[in-house]
Amino acid sequence: MQKSTNRKRVSSSRIQKGAQQWKEVIPYLLPGLFLFALFVLFPFFFNLYISFSEYNIMPGAEKPFVGFANYVKAFTDRKVGLSFRNTVLYSLVTVPGQMVLGILVAVFLNSIGRGKILFRTLYYIPVITSWIVVSLIFRYLFESGKAGLINYFALRLLGIKPISWLQNTWTANFVIWSLGIWKGIGWVMVVFLAGLQSVPKILYEAAEIDGAGFWDRFFKITLPLLQPVLFFLFVNLLIGSFNVFIQVLVITDGGPLGTTEVLLSYMYKNAFSFFEFGYASAQSVLMGIAIVAITFTTRRFFRAEVYEL
Amino acid sequence: MREINKRGLLIVIVSLCITFPLLGGGKQEKEAEPRKIEIWHTYSDAEVKVFDEETIPAFEAAHPGIKVVSTKMPYDGLKQQVIAGVAGDAVPDLMRMDIIWVPEFAKQGALTAVSDKNEFGAIQANLLPGPMRTNYYNGKYYGLPLNTNTKVAIYNRSALTSLGAQPPKTFEELVALAERFKGPEKWGLGVGGTSTWGQLPWFWSLGGRLTDDNYTRALGYLDSSGSIEALQTMVDLNRKGLIGPSLLGAEPNTWAGIQEGNYLMIDDGPWFYSILGQEAYEKTVWEQFPKGKGGSVSVVGGENLVIFKGARHPEEAWTLMQYLLTDEPQLRMARTGLIPTTKSAGGNPELEDNELVQIYVKQLQTARPRTPHPNWEKISEAVGLAFESAYREKGTAERLLRETAQEIDGYLKD
Repeated sequence: MQKSTNRKRVSSSRIQKGAQQWKEVIPYLLPGLFLFALFVLFPFFFNLYISFSEYNIMPGAEKPFVGFANYVKAFTDRKVGLSFRNTVLYSLVTVPGQMVLGILVAVFLNSIGRGKILFRTLYYIPVITSWIVVSLIFRYLFESGKAGLINYFALRLLGIKPISWLQNTWTANFVIWSLGIWKGIGWVMVVFLAGLQSVPKILYEAAEIDGAGFWDRFFKITLPLLQPVLFFLFVNLLIGSFNVFIQVLVITDGGPLGTTEVLLSYMYKNAFSFFEFGYASAQSVLMGIAIVAITFTTRRFFRAEVYEL
Repeated sequence: MREINKRGLLIVIVSLCITFPLLGGGKQEKEAEPRKIEIWHTYSDAEVKVFDEETIPAFEAAHPGIKVVSTKMPYDGLKQQVIAGVAGDAVPDLMRMDIIWVPEFAKQGALTAVSDKNEFGAIQANLLPGPMRTNYYNGKYYGLPLNTNTKVAIYNRSALTSLGAQPPKTFEELVALAERFKGPEKWGLGVGGTSTWGQLPWFWSLGGRLTDDNYTRALGYLDSSGSIEALQTMVDLNRKGLIGPSLLGAEPNTWAGIQEGNYLMIDDGPWFYSILGQEAYEKTVWEQFPKGKGGSVSVVGGENLVIFKGARHPEEAWTLMQYLLTDEPQLRMARTGLIPTTKSAGGNPELEDNELVQIYVKQLQTARPRTPHPNWEKISEAVGLAFESAYREKGTAERLLRETAQEIDGYLKD
């Protein structure tokens, strides 16, 4: 008898204690939770709702439920396929491009003594400049005709006839990819540089004594040990590459013939030029699902071979 | 004790919150204050000067109870901004918007039907019917045309002189001149692009059609033999190197090209002169669009005035709207090159001396509006894509136009 009441008292006091703790903590959590709900959860669920309706922007207007119609349309729309192709190509080109160049720059900077900070700053500047500004600059650099800067130098120095960069699908995509890579190198470099500091120097010294050259040390020590950093870079760049938008909107606006359109630019056009909010929302949901799927598969793939230090 | 204190504090705060606004006695002051109405527009700098410094003060002097806030909006991304404003209930009272947006925003339910107003009949009777038509949606009018425009042919003066020619009247003459003008970095025709705005004067003048007169069908019109021939003629001219790179968005663009003498002829609106000023007058000569099989048919542009459903002061907005469609403000804006939409202002002797306005008024008599339909943006994209595909020789004019006509018929039924 005695025991059971005791136990009861203990458990109820534990609940009380827990409640007490919550009471003290909640005022600190609430602002964050509130903001999270307002700016993340609410838009998320509202977007889902819009994607199942024929949405009208007027407050209080009729918004008929249309089931999966918007999703079915997305799967049969040729332009969605085209935008998807361009987005995937952008990922395939710019993610490895940024990583390879960024890592090379990082290793180079790590090995030089003087001017490290200067070069680090120079390489990082593109990362912090506005997408709009650099997109406009690239558009002018790759202007067609003799007056475009790139064309001017190509003609003067190499004798190449002026190229209509932005008026052909693949040259236009090349410009978009170049911008993506150029702007991302600095970020990869900074993250990788930070990772490099964590590699114990002894390993390199030992390897050197064993007669390992620069590339041996790079491939056999640096890369394996920095596998987690590589994974972090890869996933972030991959997700980031699916968000390719501003450069396309500013540089080509999807042209020529809509062949450089990417998922986000096409979505934007549907929502804000054609007022097809439901359709655009459905596309965004599909894109979200694709990103989650890709992230999980890559995580699984990478986890299989993480090296222990 | 603490509990009571807290509650007491709460009561004090709440009661203060409630009573403070009342204590101010702001209500009386508010009624004496003029009612502010906001108007969004995209007037150019020269136009803003006249609008802000002459038109609005004149209106405010005549209507002491109303104050007008004039906001110049950037044209880039403006539609998106208006959409955000409509969705967020943050629109101005009035807006001077591109004529082609009106049916689209009317369909969304964002605009007030001005044809419900008592004074509408009298105002409409004095307005040019072509621009008026662009405000029509589903049995009602959702705006009034404020100024209209179109594109005329603009020729490089020294190029004409060196060819020893006058601005051509027909398309054949133009092509003959273009063939003589052709050379390295020299093209006869500077076309603004493959979009509908860039293409329609050429397409229509050469005998092409988009839809029937009531804007209900594209099949049988966009893919008619006249349309196919019109597009094919342009494609052939481009293949022969008579059309400059501006057609496909490359440099030199039409404005630079006509000024530098790369192009013999371009087509554009009165803003070519109001923006470039004296230099444009010196370097170029204007003429009506050359006549082809379809005549000399340009495209109607311009701006309409609309009142938003979310307007704070719809009555005052309507007062301003009526004022802006009287002769005085119409003639005042005409001095900057904006073409009046009222019949009475159009017949005013003051305009007869304005040669620039005269050429555009003449061209407007045969100009056609773009399809006034809520789905115009989609129609325009489809047609532009067909034109661009034809120039890039991704298909025959016949097949491209037939497929596009079928697509457009779907949009027209919507």
